[in-house]
Amino acid sequence: MKQRRSLWLMLVPLYVFTLVFVAGPLVYMFILSFETRAETWGVVQEFTLDNYKNIFQPVYLQTFAESFRLAITSTILITLIGYPFGYFMAKLSDAWKKRLMLLLMIPFWTNSLIRLYGWMIVFRANGVLDKLLMALGVIDTPLKLLYTYPAVVVGMVYALLQFMILAVYSSCEKLDRSLIEAARDLGASPAKAFFTVTLKLTMPGLLSGIILTFIPSMGLFFIADILGGNKIVLVGSLIQDQLLKAHNQPFAAALAVVLMLLTTLMISLYKRVTHSSELEGLL
Amino acid sequence: MKKGISLALCAALCLGLLAGCGASSQAGASGSAPAEKKGTLNLYTWEGMFPQEVLDGFTAETGYEISYSSFDTDETMLAKLEAAEGGDYDLVIADDYIIETAIAEGLVSELDKTKLENLGNVNPLYQGQFYDPEDAYTVPYGAGVMTLVYDPTLTDVEITSYADLWDPALADNIAVVDNYRVINGMALKVLGESYNVADTQVIRNAGDKLLELAPNIRLIKNDNVQDDLISGEVAAAVMYTSQVTLACLANPELEVVYPEEGVGFGIMAQFIPSQAPNKDAAYAFIDYILRPEVAKQCFEWLGYYCTNQAADDLIEEEYKSFLTLPEGFNTEMEMIENITPEAEEMHMQVWTEFKAACE
Repeated sequence: MKQRRSLWLMLVPLYVFTLVFVAGPLVYMFILSFETRAETWGVVQEFTLDNYKNIFQPVYLQTFAESFRLAITSTILITLIGYPFGYFMAKLSDAWKKRLMLLLMIPFWTNSLIRLYGWMIVFRANGVLDKLLMALGVIDTPLKLLYTYPAVVVGMVYALLQFMILAVYSSCEKLDRSLIEAARDLGASPAKAFFTVTLKLTMPGLLSGIILTFIPSMGLFFIADILGGNKIVLVGSLIQDQLLKAHNQPFAAALAVVLMLLTTLMISLYKRVTHSSELEGLL
Repeated sequence: MKKGISLALCAALCLGLLAGCGASSQAGASGSAPAEKKGTLNLYTWEGMFPQEVLDGFTAETGYEISYSSFDTDETMLAKLEAAEGGDYDLVIADDYIIETAIAEGLVSELDKTKLENLGNVNPLYQGQFYDPEDAYTVPYGAGVMTLVYDPTLTDVEITSYADLWDPALADNIAVVDNYRVINGMALKVLGESYNVADTQVIRNAGDKLLELAPNIRLIKNDNVQDDLISGEVAAAVMYTSQVTLACLANPELEVVYPEEGVGFGIMAQFIPSQAPNKDAAYAFIDYILRPEVAKQCFEWLGYYCTNQAADDLIEEEYKSFLTLPEGFNTEMEMIENITPEAEEMHMQVWTEFKAACE
C-alpha cells in the first residue's frame, strides 16, 4: 500500500507537466478563438463567433480541402511504398534487419530542414536530377520540377515514410508464417492467401502507420512552403500567416481548433469504419 | 567497440539537436585592450545586422560589452518587448510599421537628442516618416526599396514597370517575396492606387488584378529569393534591397528596375525601449554608428540603402549603385503603413486567394 502511494507521488510531476504544458495551451487557444482582435496589436476580451464564421469563406474552406487532398495523396503513396518495404524487411535475416533499420534511422540524425534543402538541390533547374537526365539523353530542357505539386508530394513521402515502414514491420515481424503456408496448403492462391491472411493479420500495423502519417501530414506545411514555393496554401500556412503577418490571433486560434476537431473526427470515423480497436495505444 | 560507435552516434544526434538552439550570442570584445568596463549594451535585432569589426570597435572604444540577441520577425520582437514591459533591451532595430505600434503601446522612450552628436548626418529623406513624424523616438538605420530585378538573357520582355510583369511571355517565370502588403501593393500601384488604401472594394479589385498575374508566378518566398534568380529558376523577381545587392554582385548582367508606377520603401529604425536598463549604452551605440566611417562599414556589410548622407561619399564604387539612390531618382515613394483591421483582413483574403491560384 505504501509503495503504491509513493508510485503515485512519483507520477504527480508528470501529470502536472501534462496539465500545464499540454492542456493549458489548448484551453488558452480555445478561449482565444472566441475573442476579438485589437485595432492594432493583440486581442480584446470581447466574446465573438466571427472568427468561426470567417472560416466559412470559400477561400479559407479551400485551404482545408487542400490540406486533406495533400494528406490523402501522401498517405496513399506512403502506404503503397511503405507496406511492401516493411513486409519484405520482416522476412530478412537478423543481420540485414539491423542494417536496414540503421539505414532508416540515419536520415533522422540530420535536421529535416537541411534534408529539404537537399531535395531543393536535386529538383532545382539545371540541378542534380536535370543534369543526370540530360546526360542520359532522356530530356533536353530542364524539367522545372522544383516548386511544383509533385515536388511537395515527394517531400511529404520522404519525411513520413519511415513511420509507415516501422509500423508495418513490427506487425509483420509478429506474423506467424505457418498460417500463410496453411492457407496455401488448403488451396488458396498466393494473392488470396495474402489478402485473407497476411493483410488481415498485419492490419493493426498498417492502420497505425496510416494514422502516424496522415495526422502529421496535415500539419507539415513547411514542406509545402519550401518545395512548393508557398503556392499550396494549407491550413498550417494560413494559421502562420494570420498569426505572424496579419496579427489576427483569434482567427488563427479558431482555424487551429477546427483543424484539430476535423483531425479527431477523421480518426474516430476511421476507427469506426475499420472496426479497429488496436489503435487504442495511439488514441 | 560497438558501444563506442553507438555513443558516438548519440553524441552526433545530440549535437544536431542543439545546433538549432543558438539564437542569442555574446559578441564581446576581444583583442585590443578595451576601455574600462562600463556595463552591457543589450542589442535586440535581426541576425547579422552589423559587421563584427563594428561591434568589436564599439566595445574597444566605449567599454560597453555587447549582448546581441536576435529575432526573426518584427512580431516576435514586439511580443517579447511587451512581455518585458519595455525593459530587458537597451536598443532595438526593427521595421517602421511595427515601431509605430510599439510607440502607440508606450514601449518606446523619447530620444534625448543632446546625447547624439552625429544626428545631423542622417539623410532627411528618411526622416519624418509616418511611424515617427517628429523624429522624436527613432533614428533610421537601413532603408529598403521594393525592387524588380530581371535577367535579360532569360526573357525577351523588357521590364520597366510592375505592369510588365503581367506579360504572358513571363509565364511561370517570376519570383515574389512572401509579403502580402508588398505584392498586393504592387497590384494596387498598377491600378494607380495607394499602398495604404482603406477602401476594401479597391483592395478586392487589386486582388482580382493579382489573380491574372498568378500564371506567371513560379514561387513566393522571403529567404534567399536571389538564389532562384541567379540559378535561372526564374527570369524576374520582386525582392528586398539586400537580396538585390546580393543578386547583382553575383550576376552583374541583371537589370534593376525602379518601376514606373512608383517605389515602395521601408526603413529599419533604432529605438530605445521605455524601460531600457542601460540607456547611456544605447545612446553611445547610436552615436557610434552614425559616424560616417562606421556607417560606411555597416551599410557595405548590410546591403541596404544608406541613410547616412555623410557616409554616401565614402562608399566604395562597387557598392555605390546598390547603397545610394540613383540621381534623378523618381521620388514618388510611398511607405507601407498600418491600416484598419477590415482593410487588413481583405488584404489577407485576397492574398490567400492569390497564393492558391498560383499553383
